[in-house]
Amino acid sequence: MKLTGPLERVFRVLIDDPAAPHYGYDLMKAARLASGTLYPMLARLQQEGLVDSQWEAQRPDASGRPPRKYYRLTAEGQRVARLELARANAPAPVRRAGNSRTRLAPESPR
Amino acid sequence: MSQAPRAQRAAEWLIEAACRRLADDERADRCREWVAELPAILEDQSIRPSFLRALRALTFCVGLSRTTRQLRGRGRAGSRSSQRPAGTAQPPASEVAVRALAGGVVWLVVTSGVVALLRTHPHPAGWAIALALALAIAFDTFCVLDVSHAGQVRYLPKWAWVLVCLLQTPGGGIAYLSIGHVSRPRPVPPGAAKP
Repeated sequence: MKLTGPLERVFRVLIDDPAAPHYGYDLMKAARLASGTLYPMLARLQQEGLVDSQWEAQRPDASGRPPRKYYRLTAEGQRVARLELARANAPAPVRRAGNSRTRLAPESPR
Repeated sequence: MSQAPRAQRAAEWLIEAACRRLADDERADRCREWVAELPAILEDQSIRPSFLRALRALTFCVGLSRTTRQLRGRGRAGSRSSQRPAGTAQPPASEVAVRALAGGVVWLVVTSGVVALLRTHPHPAGWAIALALALAIAFDTFCVLDVSHAGQVRYLPKWAWVLVCLLQTPGGGIAYLSIGHVSRPRPVPPGAAKP
């Protein structure tokens, strides 16, 4: 799996409190994603078994609001998310192979 | 605030339209999920003033339309062979540049030809105008038919290409044929490895 920027943001939001259920718009706001990016991603994650979803239970004090679908990381999803985020946070490995002379110059600040 | 119910209805209609693309087993579920999100958007107090909330709901629906298109594509790719038909892939930028350049040259030749024709026969010139008009109508018809019969087109949705073809004669049609047109995929024998 390739950790893209949007996926990383979704993982961060979901891993922040893995037990907390999130509905789509909630995730869109928290991860600052458009619906056209988020939902295909959720569908893919669900297909891969990293995310599962369940319908909100109909509350007895029905306020007229239809039940929402909530998304949550599965155990496997939590493992993968932690791994990928840790990998993203780690500094890029310095390559030592090849001509050492080219490596002597200090890295120019980006 | 009479805006919210109207926006809600419009958004529900858009969601239903987007969900029509999905397979039967998925359609009702998705539709229910997304309609249930609408109140949260239309009552989102962090978006002010209220008409921006309605706008947000509409952009939400546009994204869902993109989503269902992707979900449908994925379902098809899974059920059929995973190989995409030839011609779907975006051509390299250099090829697009060459095609666009060729389109520009054709456009220049056609427009300067028509202008020259009208200049050399200035007076009543009824037939020259009629000829140019007939050519324009024939070309537009050809382009619109080509767009509507094409399996797929590049860069823009089909309706946008039709609009472009009709609004800018002949530039729009030439632009479509040079960069938007997808040539018919050559039949690839099943099992043949792609280089």
